[in-house]
Amino acid sequence: MAEHSILIVEDDRTVRELLKHRLGKHYNVATATNGQDALDHVESSIPDLIISDIMMPKMDGFALQSALQSDKNTRVIPFIFLTARADEPARKQGERTGVDDYITKPFDMDQLLSRVERLLERVEVFQSNLDAEIGRDFSNRLLPDRLPDVNGYRFDFHAEAHAQGGGDLFDWVETDQGTYFLTIGDVMGKGLRAKFYAYSFLSYVRGTLHTLLKESTSPAAVMRSINEMLLSDEVLEDTFASFLLLHWNPHTHTVTYANAGHCRPVLVTPDGPEIAEHSDLILGLEEDTSFSDVTLDLAPGGALFAYTDGLTEQPGRNGDMLGEAAMRDLAAEAQDRDQPIEAIRTGTLDRSAADDFQDDILILWMQRSPNTD
Amino acid sequence: MSFDVETLTSDTVIVHVGEALDFRNADEFKETFQDYVEDDIQNFILDFSETEVLDSTGLGSIFSLYREISPQDGQVAFADVSRPVQVVVQLTRTYKVFRQYPSVEAAKEALAS
Repeated sequence: MAEHSILIVEDDRTVRELLKHRLGKHYNVATATNGQDALDHVESSIPDLIISDIMMPKMDGFALQSALQSDKNTRVIPFIFLTARADEPARKQGERTGVDDYITKPFDMDQLLSRVERLLERVEVFQSNLDAEIGRDFSNRLLPDRLPDVNGYRFDFHAEAHAQGGGDLFDWVETDQGTYFLTIGDVMGKGLRAKFYAYSFLSYVRGTLHTLLKESTSPAAVMRSINEMLLSDEVLEDTFASFLLLHWNPHTHTVTYANAGHCRPVLVTPDGPEIAEHSDLILGLEEDTSFSDVTLDLAPGGALFAYTDGLTEQPGRNGDMLGEAAMRDLAAEAQDRDQPIEAIRTGTLDRSAADDFQDDILILWMQRSPNTD
Repeated sequence: MSFDVETLTSDTVIVHVGEALDFRNADEFKETFQDYVEDDIQNFILDFSETEVLDSTGLGSIFSLYREISPQDGQVAFADVSRPVQVVVQLTRTYKVFRQYPSVEAAKEALAS
């Protein structure tokens, strides 16, 4: 957590230095000697809290506070007045809005510190609630509100966001040929920043797919173009992402995929589950990375299980992460269940040392009916 | 926690990554290597001997380093890679970009030649 900044506005040098010294131990403190001086400071950098005297030359505390109230950017800065006893009548005269606290001089330093702390805490709680709300909003936009509905297949999808989660994303589109293009990705990083990048990213991928799918249904070709974009776009310059692109053809019962450093999916075959081995370099790292397409056959009753690292990185009972081997076992267990995703979820938590998931999780399960040809 | 950096030659440093490189200290790692990149350091040997945690944010910060120095033919070498780091490197296929060496000594020799 970054250090909070406090602006002290006080014309009396002794009081100013005393406050600066004491508050400086916990916060990043700046000082001003009158209201005008303070406004200049606020213009260049907005503090997290202002403590101001009332009687000052040039511009007094009331004028300063009024000036701050007139601008929506500065109106919200928590504001504490330091008042001398002589100011009491003036203070009572005008009940001012936007003042969070009055402290009468001579003041008790510990009391001041605790009020400052409480005010900043309030701001912080507000901020983190807002972050959580925006994060949830992004998370919702990163996931589809409906799923492909194809005869002879079941298609299950589940995602749950974690407060400390990152930028998991999933999207799908049906092509003109009645096949499906699925995108699963994980943008590196945590929190709001990752979600924001994932969101910008997904918008780009949607646009790219729309154009590219007219010419080719090769996941590798799409992957190359996403990689180029990541390396050339200045906003996304420091963004890295693992991606799994799948082209699913329910008529030929095949899935062609390209994998850029993403968790490797599990293919459930008549001989048991196996990891789809091939994968290439993660996106955003190197120009001219080559990506290849690999085609998998879905046998009757066969399934494909794809996921993000929230599952593999879940801590196991021995402290190590669950890893890929556990995913293969989970796929085998889920194969004959009515609710394969629920089986994977509970199976993961059963193997884990933790009671809950520690990160965003995303699970995709697509299975061909046993009696189709 | 700050990173322990050893200057080897005019263009090479060793960064002892320590116990963890993750979302908590990735920004600090970036600030650290930035100073050296500005001083024309091109090669970074990352000592992972004690590293128990490398998450995707941490790995992302190493990618940022690679992006900065690769246009000048700089290298990021992974030395004495611990098991948890190995898992991440495998998954993301980044061993294709970062050369790995069994020890810091071996990385030093390889970069010196």
